[in-house]
Amino acid sequence: MSELHRVMCVEDDPDIRMIIEFSLATVGGYEVCLCPGGQAALAQAPIFKPDLVLLDVMMPDLSGPETLAALRLQEGMKGVPVVFMTAKAMPEEVEDLLQYGATGVIVKPFDPVTLPQNIRIYWEHGRGIAHD
Amino acid sequence: MPSSLVATPMLRVLVADDIEASRLHLCQLVQDCGHQAFGVDSGKAALAQILAQSPDLVLLDLLMPDMDGFAVTQTVRALVSERWLPVIVTSSLEGEQHFIHALQGGADDYLVRPINPALLEAKLRHYARVLGLQSRLAMLAQRQRDIHDNILDAVLTLDDQGQIQESNLAALRIFGDGTQRLDGRHCDQVLGATLADLLGQGEIALRRFDGSRFPAELALSQWNEAELLRYTIVIRDLTERRRIERMKDEFLATVSHELRTPLTSVLGALGLLASGAAGALPKAALPLAEVAKRNGERLSRLIDDILDLTKLEAKQMVLQMRSTTLDALLREAMTANQGYAGRAGVHLKLELTAPSPAVRVDTDRFLQVMANLLSNAIKHSAAGDTVSVSLDWSDTRLRVKVQDQGPGIDPKFRARLFEKFSQADASDRRAQGGTGLGLYITRMLVERMGGRVDVEAASGPGACFCIELPLIDALAQRAGPWLLHIDNDLDARLRVADWLSPLCPVQGVADLQQARALPVQSQPPIIIADPQAQGSADEFCKALQHLSQGRGVILFSDAVDDAFVRRLGLLWLQKAHTGREEMLGAARSALVKANQEHRS
Repeated sequence: MSELHRVMCVEDDPDIRMIIEFSLATVGGYEVCLCPGGQAALAQAPIFKPDLVLLDVMMPDLSGPETLAALRLQEGMKGVPVVFMTAKAMPEEVEDLLQYGATGVIVKPFDPVTLPQNIRIYWEHGRGIAHD
Repeated sequence: MPSSLVATPMLRVLVADDIEASRLHLCQLVQDCGHQAFGVDSGKAALAQILAQSPDLVLLDLLMPDMDGFAVTQTVRALVSERWLPVIVTSSLEGEQHFIHALQGGADDYLVRPINPALLEAKLRHYARVLGLQSRLAMLAQRQRDIHDNILDAVLTLDDQGQIQESNLAALRIFGDGTQRLDGRHCDQVLGATLADLLGQGEIALRRFDGSRFPAELALSQWNEAELLRYTIVIRDLTERRRIERMKDEFLATVSHELRTPLTSVLGALGLLASGAAGALPKAALPLAEVAKRNGERLSRLIDDILDLTKLEAKQMVLQMRSTTLDALLREAMTANQGYAGRAGVHLKLELTAPSPAVRVDTDRFLQVMANLLSNAIKHSAAGDTVSVSLDWSDTRLRVKVQDQGPGIDPKFRARLFEKFSQADASDRRAQGGTGLGLYITRMLVERMGGRVDVEAASGPGACFCIELPLIDALAQRAGPWLLHIDNDLDARLRVADWLSPLCPVQGVADLQQARALPVQSQPPIIIADPQAQGSADEFCKALQHLSQGRGVILFSDAVDDAFVRRLGLLWLQKAHTGREEMLGAARSALVKANQEHRS
């Protein structure tokens, strides 16, 4: 596959979910699967088969890093780029998140107009890493 | 002392005399002088009453059948040792020899019978005064003791060898088992810190009686007691303060998360509306959406700034210091701020002449500093102006200059420029949309990276901000001694490097093999190391001592115990309980020592 089509977004805040859906579907033209938490994401991933996962860090059921670790255990999810979204923006926190094996970190508040383009860049970068 | 200052108390006087008539007479005389008297008829009864009634003074007949006054005096001195009980012996015998004998045996005074009432009165008044003074002194001493013991901080007084001379209750509770006195013991043994450590003042890790370490703040005063040097040290346990700082930290992290989450939706929705992604807005509505978006973004910056500020002021911001040249970083900073400059119609110009020498910075934080200075310059520029960034350097320092063509800085305001919430005036804040924190944070960040920031005195139109950073070579030359950190835990190496790199060059390696592979330096290193996962701890530490050649070895580890470090005579900081300040303190002490050797 040479284009980014299917984006899974895992976010517990319903308003932010709506903004992301608008941004990715209406502005970006992607096919979007919205999940309110880590458990839902784990259940949806094998069905939806995302090209990229946008993952909130602080969520009540499973945290972002926990969800990422569990996703990596699923067949077909090992090489899928994952981008974290976080409202903690300290540089050292961003570095910590990258250590979990994410392709990128998007800091909240983010710009919904540029979000589709930015995750496309992360997707290309992440695919590069996965193919190495 | 004038008598008016010390009221003469009434004494309780025990009269011991086997002859009833003379005993009653003497009791009467004592009462006539205004004191209380009670009589006994034998030496043994006198001893019994002294123990039972605790009289203030004893009038003792020297000749009694069962036990004479000499024997009674000697027994009294043995029995009543914790206070002074004046004993006045009486006798009608000729000559002074028996009185001299009694005084030598412990009596305080004598009266010849028949007793002269005026003499008795004068003597009793004298003893009443002395006893009054004495009890007053005892009260004052007790009062001082009580104050000392009710201080919540531990207070210790040491001699110039580090031996404890005196300690208060708080010190006993922290450093002792609560019963055993600390006096006479050595500070090394009791606090787990040498006198030199303690004299370093500031913050230090000390050892409790149970062996655990805690962060302590020391306040030290030096004084002389009869020409002998004394140190009195007030030790404040910082554990609670640290806990509160952590709580504050967590609270701030939560608050910032909770503030940013709704802001994400607000700014996201506004961004989509303003961009037309949700359909074209009516012409009149567009500026309103822009206003809302701009102010939401300002709020977001304010949250970032306040968080940065809090971390910087609490000295909790972790910097990842790296050796680098600034050329590429400056290009990145120009690109990052191009958007803002473009919207304001301001040209950004980077003037690089030759490749610049390396400095040590945290690259993210350096970019933040540049963003602050650039946005500041752009903010105060008119459309069509140019903001130029240039680099120059001397043998020891490198300068980054950000020059604008704006109105410049009012000389009156220059001094306050880098202070918190300082903007030239309130109207400026409103017009330019800043937080008033940017330059303050800039200064704090640059100082944490070992440099300084200033604004140059007006030499032309516009303002010129200047960051100065020390060159790496200069750093190495200045410090002389260097630190080698051996730890197979990468996090710990990064942490220590961040803490200590402002102090001197720090080289981190995972094990001894890597340490030995380092290029040979002109000086042996001061070593910080963790024996965890390094094979035999004993052999590892011996190798460290060999490698440091006496420059000092600090174990930074949770894998050793007190007995081990004491046996090898090494400094020890527990990873779990040691923060930046304690590590800095320990390293600084080792450096001071190494510098002295370096010079000599």
